[in-house]
Amino acid sequence: MNQSSKDNSDSSTNPAILVDNLTVSYGPVPALLDVSFKVPAGQLIGIIGPNGSGKSTLIKAILGFLKPDFGTVYLFGEPAAHAKGRVAYVPQRGSVDWDFPVSVQEVVLMGRYGHVPWWKNLGQQEWQLADDALEMVRMSHYRKRQIGELSGGQQQRVFMARAMAQGADILLLDEPFAGVDAATERAILDVLEQTKQAGKTLLVVHHDLTTAAEYFDALILLKQRLYAFGSPEAVLHRRLLSEVYEGSLRIFSDLSQTTKNS
Amino acid sequence: MQDLLDAFIEPLTGIHFQKALIGAALSAIACGVVGSFIVLRRMAFLGDALSHAMLAGVTSGYLFMQMLFGYEAHAPAMIIGALLAGLVTVSAISFVSQVSRIKEDTAIGIMYTGIFALGGILASVFSDRIHIHLFDFVVGMVLAVEDGHLWMIASVCALVLCVVILFFRQLQITTFDPIMAASIGVPVVGVHYLLTACTSLVVVSAVPVVGVVLVVGLLITPAATAYLVTNRLRTMVIAAPVFGVLSVVVGLYLSSWIGNVAPGPMIVVVGTFQFIVLLCIAPRYGLIADWWRRYQLAPQTLLEDILGFIRDDGRQHVPLHEILAQIKSPQHMVRRAVRELQRQHLLKEDRQGIGFTDVGQHEARRLLRSHRLWETYLEHVGTPEAELHLTAHQLEHLHDENTVDYLDDKLGHPLRDPHGSEIPEDFIDLVPGATIKASLLRQGHQATVISVSGGRKDHPIQEETQITAGPRRGEGNLWTFVLPDGSLIELDHESADAVTVRLDNTGAS
Repeated sequence: MNQSSKDNSDSSTNPAILVDNLTVSYGPVPALLDVSFKVPAGQLIGIIGPNGSGKSTLIKAILGFLKPDFGTVYLFGEPAAHAKGRVAYVPQRGSVDWDFPVSVQEVVLMGRYGHVPWWKNLGQQEWQLADDALEMVRMSHYRKRQIGELSGGQQQRVFMARAMAQGADILLLDEPFAGVDAATERAILDVLEQTKQAGKTLLVVHHDLTTAAEYFDALILLKQRLYAFGSPEAVLHRRLLSEVYEGSLRIFSDLSQTTKNS
Repeated sequence: MQDLLDAFIEPLTGIHFQKALIGAALSAIACGVVGSFIVLRRMAFLGDALSHAMLAGVTSGYLFMQMLFGYEAHAPAMIIGALLAGLVTVSAISFVSQVSRIKEDTAIGIMYTGIFALGGILASVFSDRIHIHLFDFVVGMVLAVEDGHLWMIASVCALVLCVVILFFRQLQITTFDPIMAASIGVPVVGVHYLLTACTSLVVVSAVPVVGVVLVVGLLITPAATAYLVTNRLRTMVIAAPVFGVLSVVVGLYLSSWIGNVAPGPMIVVVGTFQFIVLLCIAPRYGLIADWWRRYQLAPQTLLEDILGFIRDDGRQHVPLHEILAQIKSPQHMVRRAVRELQRQHLLKEDRQGIGFTDVGQHEARRLLRSHRLWETYLEHVGTPEAELHLTAHQLEHLHDENTVDYLDDKLGHPLRDPHGSEIPEDFIDLVPGATIKASLLRQGHQATVISVSGGRKDHPIQEETQITAGPRRGEGNLWTFVLPDGSLIELDHESADAVTVRLDNTGAS
C-alpha cells in the first residue's frame, strides 16, 4: 500500500525528465554548459541544434552513460545513473545492420534482456510481453521476418515495440527521420504519435527545422547552452535561430512564414 | 565398391590421421562458433592479427621455459605466451586508435606486423635453440598433432562453447545494438574483451591445424558460409561449425588421397570452395536465387504500360489476348506482368477478361496524370511535337507525388495537355478535409479559406470564408472563385497559391 502510493506520487509529481544545471565536458570546452529543463510525461519533444551542439552528449547523459562535471539528470525523480533501462534508446537508422541475422520478434525480445539475469533463460512471460508489444504496434503479422525485409516505417515500429517491451516510459530517438522518403516520414510520425498516446515521453533528435514546428509539442534548442525550450512558435524564432545557426540563414525566411501560418 | 569403401576407411587406420581428424574437427567447431560473431562484428582483420601475433608469443613461451627450466617445447608455456601476445596486440591496437587519429584497421596492420616480425627475429636469432619448424607454424602440422595439442584444442572448444552458450544474449545484443545494450546495463566493453579472449584461444587452437596464415580461413569462411544460408543467429552459430567440420573432413581425405599435399591449405581451399558453391546456390541470398528473383520480376515500366493500355482501352474488361497482341514485349513477360499486377491487387481477372480493381483504377489515373503533365512540360520546354508522346511515355514512369506536383505547379496547374485531353486533377491531395493551396482547386470544388500568407492585407479573400472555384479565365492562368455573397474574384497563380484552404467537397465528381 505504502509502495503503491509512493509510485503514484512518483509519476504524478515528478517530471519525466528533469535536467538540473547539467555541465558535461570532454576537454577544456564544455559540450553542455548549465543546461536545465523539465519535460512533463506524455510529451513529444524535439531536440534541435547545429552539428556538434551537444545533442548526442545530452542523449548520453540521459541514458546515464556519462559522469557529468556538474548537475544531475533525474528520470521520474531518480538519478539517471541509477535508472538503467527506464529509458529506451532507438538507434539511428544508418547505424543498424539491417542484414543482421535476427527476426522482428527477436529484436523486440531484446527489450526484455535487461529484466532477466544473465544465467537464466528467457521465460514464457518474456516472449508473451514481446508479442504484446508487437501487437501494440500492429506488427505481429511480421514477427518471423528478418528485419531487413521490412519497409522503413515498419522497421521504426519494431524498434518502438522493443522500447515498449523494455517497459521504458521515456524513449530517446536519434534522428528517426534521417534519410527516409516522405511517405516513410509520415508513417514514422504516426508511430511516434501513437506511442505518445500510450503515455510515453518521447525525446527526438531532429535536424529538419522546416518540419520541427509541425511534428513536436515542444522543442529544445541546443548549442552547448540551452538557447530555448518551449512551444515551437516560441523556439523557432528568427532571432534565436540566427544566433544559434550563424551563417545558415537562408532557410529562415521560409520558416518564419510557415510558423506564422500554423 | 569395396575399393571405394577402403578409400574412406584406410586413412582412418592411421593414428596420425585419427588425431588430425579429431583435433581439426574440434578446432573447426570452436572457430565456427566464435567466427560467427567475428563476421557479424566485422572483426575478421583482428582475427588475422591475433593469429600472426602468436608467432612472437609461442616463440617467447618456448624460449622462456627452455632457457629458465630446460623444458623443450613446453605446451602450456607456449599457449600462455600466445595468449599474452594476443593481449599485447589488442591493447596496443586500441591504444593507438584511441590516442591518435590513426583508424583502427591501420592500427591493427601496424601492430600485428610489428609483433609478428618481432617473433620472426626471435625465432631466427635463437634458431639453434628452437626445435620446431617455422614452416609448420605457417601452414600447420595437423598430421603431427600430439596428445598435448589435442587436449588443448578440446579444452578450448569446451570453454568457448560454454562461454557462447552462457553469454549468448549478451553477445547477440552487443553485436547488434551496443548503445541499447549499454543502456540496459550490459557491460559492452567486457563482452568485447570476452570475445577477443575467446578469439585468441580459438586462434591458438587452430594454428597447429592450418597454420598462422590460414587461421582466418578456418575462423571466418565457415561462418560467412553459414551467414549466406540463414536469417537467425542461433542457426548461424550451429551451421558455421558444421561447415567447418565438413571442410576439415573433406580436406583431410583429399590430402591423404592425393598424397604429398599439406592438409592445412587443403582444408582452407575446401572451405573456400564450399563458400563459393553456397554463394551461388544459397536458397535466399545466393546469386542464383537473386538472379531468379530478378528474372521473375516484371519491369515496373511494363506493369505501368499494361495499366495504361487497359485504361486507354476504356472497356470494363479487356481479353488477355488483346493485351498480349498490343503490348510490344515478349509474351511470357507480359503474362508474368499481368500475374504480378493481380498479385498486387491492381487487376482482377474474370470470365470476360481483365479489368481494374479500385486500387488499379486509381493507380492508372495517377499514371495518366503523370503522362499528360510530362507531355505538357515537354511542349513547354520546346520538344518537337512528333517526339512528345514517345518521350512522355518514357518519362511518365517518373511519377512519384513530389515530381508530379512540381511539374503541375511549374506549368501553372494546366487543365489540358497539348493534345487537348483533360489532365486529371491532383486527386491524391484533393480529398475532402485536406489542407491545400487554392490553386489546386478545379471548377465546382468548394473549400474554406484557412489563411492567406504573406500578410496581403489587400487580398480580396478573407479567412473563414467559403469559396467555390469557377472556370479558369485568360489562357487558363486566371483562377476565379465565387464568394458566399455571389461576387466573383479573379486571382493569378501566385495569389491563388497564397491562399491556403480546407477542401470541403469536390462537387459533382
